[in-house]
Amino acid sequence: MKTMLKAALLATIAAGLAAPAVAQDALQLPNMSYRTGPFAATGTPHMNGQLDYMTMLNERDGGINGVPVAFEECETGYNTEKGVECYEKTKSEGALVTQPWSTGITLQVLPQTNVDEITVYAPGYGFSAMQDGKVFQWAFNPPTSYWDGASMIVNALGDGNPDNLNGQKIAFLHLDHPYGKEPIPLLEQLAEKHGFTLLPIPVGLTEMQNQSAQWLQIRRERPDFVVMWGWGAMNAGAVTEAAKTRYPMDQFVSVWWGAHEPDLRLIGEEGQGFRALSWNFPRSDSQVMQDVKEYVVDAGKSQIDQDSGEFDSMAYQRGVLMSVILAEAVRVAQEHADTPDISREDLRWGFENLNLDEARLEEIGVEGMMAPFSTSCANHTGNASAWMVEWDGEKFVKVSDLLPADRETIDALVEEQAAAYAEANAPWPTNEECDQ
Amino acid sequence: MDILNTIFVQPFADMAAAPDFLLQVIWEGLVGGVLYALIALGFVLIYKSSRIFNFAQGIMVVFAALTLVGLYEMGIPALLAVPLTLAVMFALAVVVERVVLRPLVNQPDIILFMATIGITLFLVGLGETIFGGENKVMITAELGIPTGSIMLEPFGGFVSIEERDLTAVVGAGVLVASLLVFLNRTKIGRAIRALGDDHQAALSIGISLSTIWVIVWFIAGIIALVTGIAWGARAGVSFALEVIAYKALPVLMLGGLESVTGAIVGGLAIGVLEKLFEVYWGQPLLGGNTEAWFAYVLALIVLLFRPQGLFGERIIERV
Repeated sequence: MKTMLKAALLATIAAGLAAPAVAQDALQLPNMSYRTGPFAATGTPHMNGQLDYMTMLNERDGGINGVPVAFEECETGYNTEKGVECYEKTKSEGALVTQPWSTGITLQVLPQTNVDEITVYAPGYGFSAMQDGKVFQWAFNPPTSYWDGASMIVNALGDGNPDNLNGQKIAFLHLDHPYGKEPIPLLEQLAEKHGFTLLPIPVGLTEMQNQSAQWLQIRRERPDFVVMWGWGAMNAGAVTEAAKTRYPMDQFVSVWWGAHEPDLRLIGEEGQGFRALSWNFPRSDSQVMQDVKEYVVDAGKSQIDQDSGEFDSMAYQRGVLMSVILAEAVRVAQEHADTPDISREDLRWGFENLNLDEARLEEIGVEGMMAPFSTSCANHTGNASAWMVEWDGEKFVKVSDLLPADRETIDALVEEQAAAYAEANAPWPTNEECDQ
Repeated sequence: MDILNTIFVQPFADMAAAPDFLLQVIWEGLVGGVLYALIALGFVLIYKSSRIFNFAQGIMVVFAALTLVGLYEMGIPALLAVPLTLAVMFALAVVVERVVLRPLVNQPDIILFMATIGITLFLVGLGETIFGGENKVMITAELGIPTGSIMLEPFGGFVSIEERDLTAVVGAGVLVASLLVFLNRTKIGRAIRALGDDHQAALSIGISLSTIWVIVWFIAGIIALVTGIAWGARAGVSFALEVIAYKALPVLMLGGLESVTGAIVGGLAIGVLEKLFEVYWGQPLLGGNTEAWFAYVLALIVLLFRPQGLFGERIIERV
């Protein structure tokens, strides 16, 4: 009996060891997820969306150009140390890309990815200066950056002209974390340029669910607007405190992560008028979403909570679009390399040559879900525009056209901060051949 | 000179200029303090009876709240979901005692502490598997907890008191009073205190260690459920509730690990003082977010003068 048990154990271990050999035939596109911990509430639907799109490609098309996608998750709990462990683990398993899913983890692994020559893909997050492809050759943050987002919000608050904010006060309620602090340098410049006062209000990790001190400060300072850069439980805490403080919801605006239905459902109709900038807008009847439904959700291969309406949510469909961009970079790389089995360098080229124009978005089946954009050797962000969406008491509705960002101020800050980063991390290789 | 003014004059001038705002700050601090005290009580009870620092107290809050909401989502009426959740917490207490604690009797304290970290990781995985990681709405109204607000108008200003916060304060008060009666007036309560005083002596007079451990972990489960409802009503139920357990650590340092009174006084003191410091000194002087460290600094200052905490027992060992 003991011999049989040992044999069974050895067979199991052998099968386990053999598994990576099979996986080598797949495109290794791992994701650093956090489905547990204080940030799981917003992390989970995004990660479900990312995973389900890749599963759909595997089911519908056999992968990308016939090569299956291995979209393994490595749980970080939004913890930077665990993120670095996940980076090393996935690298050793042959990852073509690293998706850190945290600005803190992105900043931590950024220098190493340059040495290891692995693309960092941080869709809509990370260090905004990663836009500068000359300096950050291996880092990409399409379709838009936090600095783009902050500028678009300022534009919207000024009704299209930020000079209208002259003399006004904007409270910047943010997670006390690299992510939350990311837009501050740009907001400080915009405040100086347009004459408004910026009041940064940090929220610590242990205070996310008890923000009474922060909202007491808002009650005392009476800012004209509150701009929120929150994540996870912080967003839910903020909207409930705003409702409790009776802060006018139409003066409360968030970056895209705040466009999260479960947070607003906590206060329901009291949240009417709350706005968020969003680079995506859900369209459940789009071709891609219908395919995800048919091949993944209805087939019982999805982890989504169908009863809560997750399929139709902003976050889930944002996650789908994140994988759409990644898959498109893989496809472009395959065409360029003239082989479906691409290398890390090929994928980097793919990310540098994305062209998701209206026609291509329609071809993929995501038209209307995001704004068109393209990347280049010099521009690794793409700077897609975004919409303002508003909570009507039950759901988010689109309340603006695509908003412009202050390119002059942002691009100058990108160049300055990228140069400072390269100098601080010298010797840092730059790509002087980039001229567009 | 400006800095001296900001530290010693301006805060008090602000308090005098807007006394309604000061009352609001104190009330918010009090509500937070009551909830810190509740979490700390969970730690204290288990430590008193078993000398185990229960790292799993935070995740028990999440697990209890998620179970309550999960049962309700399954179609069980809210008022029936509460006793069922308590039954789940009792079952958890039995399993913890049988599977984790009993095999580790007589092991060093650090082993038992590590075991509670294991329980934490297990409950995180179990909770995520059963309930998912999404933020859920606490069934506040369904439980009969009022959700409106009371607007007071003292000194020509206003103080807003949420009825759910008021309920949390009253509920926590009733729970604490019941616990004190239970610990001081009942046979089992005396047995728990006896175990806390001296394990060997308590065992020698026939007190059952396993029974007491199950009872104590169950009481910690009840406290976790009350805390989960109170915090969950404020900002939803998610795994983020776990991090509020960290706020109980300075309360324990301040009040003493073995003192029920210490947990209550420590919780209230930290709740009110950290809020006053943040609003009147932290935000103008340090840019805010001082609540992340203020309580620890306060506790460290107290420990300098009273190493056993404000209400802890002085340990005297003969050498």
